[in-house]
Order: sequence, then C-alpha cells, then structure tokens
Amino acid sequence: MKLVTGVALSFLAVLAAAPAIGHHAFSAEFDADKPVKLSGTVTRVEWENPHAWFYIDVKDPSGRVDNWGFEMGSPNILIRAGWGRNTLKLGDTVTVEGSRAKNGANIANAKIVILASTGQKLFAGSSQGQN
Amino acid sequence: MKFILAVPALLLLWTSNASAQWAKFPDNSIPRTRDGKADLTARTPTARDGKPDLSGLWQPEPDPAGKPPGVQIVESIHDNFVIPRYFVDITADMPPSQSLLQPAAAATFMQNLQSGGKNDPSAHCKPTGVPAVANLPIPFKIIQTERIVVILYEEGSVFRQIFLDARKTVEDPQPRWMGYSTGKWEGDTLVVESVGFTSKSWLDRLGHTHSESMHLTERYRRADAGHLEFEVTIDDPKTFSKPIKYTQKAALVPDEDLLEYFCTENEKDTQHYQ
Repeated sequence: MKLVTGVALSFLAVLAAAPAIGHHAFSAEFDADKPVKLSGTVTRVEWENPHAWFYIDVKDPSGRVDNWGFEMGSPNILIRAGWGRNTLKLGDTVTVEGSRAKNGANIANAKIVILASTGQKLFAGSSQGQN
Repeated sequence: MKFILAVPALLLLWTSNASAQWAKFPDNSIPRTRDGKADLTARTPTARDGKPDLSGLWQPEPDPAGKPPGVQIVESIHDNFVIPRYFVDITADMPPSQSLLQPAAAATFMQNLQSGGKNDPSAHCKPTGVPAVANLPIPFKIIQTERIVVILYEEGSVFRQIFLDARKTVEDPQPRWMGYSTGKWEGDTLVVESVGFTSKSWLDRLGHTHSESMHLTERYRRADAGHLEFEVTIDDPKTFSKPIKYTQKAALVPDEDLLEYFCTENEKDTQHYQ
C-alpha cells in the first residue's frame, strides 16, 4: 500500500530492527531510548531458542543486589557468528550495554558484552560496524 | 542512541566470522578451486535426470542496496547480518500505487503496522509461512529428486514438499502455513505453483497479509553452482489489486548444515510486550 509509505517509514525504523529477525520486533519489547550499561557477575546462561539469555547480579553502591536479564540473538545466529554456549560462564564478571525493556523490568536487549577478566568484547559484532 | 549501522561492514563481519566454531563437512558434490574452497562460480550441477540440481544449503541474500529503503536498524548483538528487503516489505519492488491493497486488506495492514510488531504471528512463535520464510537471512536446504523437491527451512524447523509427479493440486486443501505445492520444469527453471494457504501468516514484517485464496508462483533458477534466484508472484485479488512480484536471491553455503530452531523452547518475550 504505497500511499501509506510516509506512515510506514516512521514505523519501519523500529519494526525492521534487526532483532526482529526470526522472532519478534525489537520495538514490541525494548526501548532504544532507554540505554543501560551495567556490570555484574553472571548467574545464569540460557543457551536456547528463540533467544539466548544471560543474567547478572548487579550491586549498587549501597550494597543492594539486583538480578538483570539480557536477551541476545538466537543460539543459531550466535554459533554461526563464532560464539559458543560456553563463551560466557557462570561467575564471569561482565559489563553489558543494551536497551531496557519498555515495561521497566530488569531486562534488556544486550548490545555489547565485555568480559572484565580479559577486556575481551563478546558479542560485540554490531559495534564494529556502527557509524 | 546510535541507530544507523554501516551495513556493508556488518556483512563483512558476518561473512568472516561465520563458522568460526562451526564444524565443516566438505561437500564433494561442489567443484573445488585449487585452494580447496568451493567453486561458487562453477557450472550448475546436473541431477541424474539431466535437470539442473537445485540441492544445497542456501542463504537468502541481503538487500543489494545494503538495507531496505527507509529502514533503520537498532544496533544490537543480533544484527550481524543484513535484512533482505522483501522480508521487511513484500511490495518493495512494486511501482507506487494508490490502490495496491483492497480496502479491507488496507485496514488490516494499518492495524498491523500500528501494532509495533506485537500482532506479528512470529512474535508469538507461530510459523513464518511461505513465501516470507525464504526471505529471512536464515538458511534453507533444498533436496531434489525426480518426483519431489523438499525444502527444509531452519526458521521454525519446517518443511515444504513440492510434488513433481504431475499430480493436480488438491481441491479445497486443508489451509497450511506452507501451502500445497506442485512443480514442473520449464527448461532450466523449476516452476512451483502453491495454493491452500492459511490466511494467518504475514507476508512481511510490516504486516501485509493475504487471503486463503492466495496463489503463489515461484520460478527457481540456479545460475551457477553458488547462486540461486527465485522469482515470486503473489496472485491474491482479495488482498491485492494486482499481482505482487519480486525476485529473491540466495547464495550457496558450502560445507555447512542446518541447525534446529524451535521458537517455543524458551520463549519469554511475549510477557514483556508493550
């Protein structure tokens, strides 16, 4: 329906976000305008479709600990990009950058994961290509 | 928030990183260059019956322009690859028209568009139907015999059977996500006719839909060992005022195989949709 192209394009920006591939539109769950950057210890890794998830305990200055969940791509996509289910291990300290869920829960779409012990950027594929 | 990605750079990354930890099983049906790599420009392989052999693992190719027009990509660890334009908009190549969609279909489309992806069947782990399943940057495998061509799609771990045994298509077929397909050879082109679709599937990520009477024609041609293209015609007068046409290309992925993908395995997104 070409007459709505103008309208469509404004939605395209979020609808066509790459995380939509294979499962859901980024915009259905996450807010690109709510960036988060958190450091913590890996408490759980779920290497399963449709999305791999990992969870970290984040301690704030007062000592309070919150558990955060981060969504990644599908294991299939990650495997073909060179990562494995043991790339991220329980107890690893990581810094994660991503976009928080629209509903304000402690979950986010992970964008960059940096392993504290080596400084190695895991899952940093897209950051190398950004403008 | 940085939105726009340098897509060609990403593509390069995707290509160079692919299979870094992924077992390779050399496929000796593909001619090799002197350095042992699959010769993707070799002549199209021939099947026992003399027809071009379409068999192989194929990866739908991204948009030749880098990304579909008007599309912005949220940077993420997910986007190591580029989206084929027809995955976003099945009508992308159609000339501008005020009346491409019939009125009822136009209303449905606007509703879907405004749902921000939440209405998308695949966001609820429903299958990605035909033809959209072949427009994802996720591989599919063609297995060709004289009497049947089977296509296995990694997305959803679903299959398609294309009967080449000259049968007529069934009357009033059970509606299916993948349709009911028969095929025949016209020269070096496999022509596949499909009917019997459920109207539940979307044609693209924007939210174009179709009716149960959609008639799909696909013309598959393997130009050489490494390159497949299929011209798709969607004829559905209840939805579109004229047939929708596009041509999707796919590249051979040598020496690799399909993985399985079950969306319901650990789905936990729908509870967070807003």
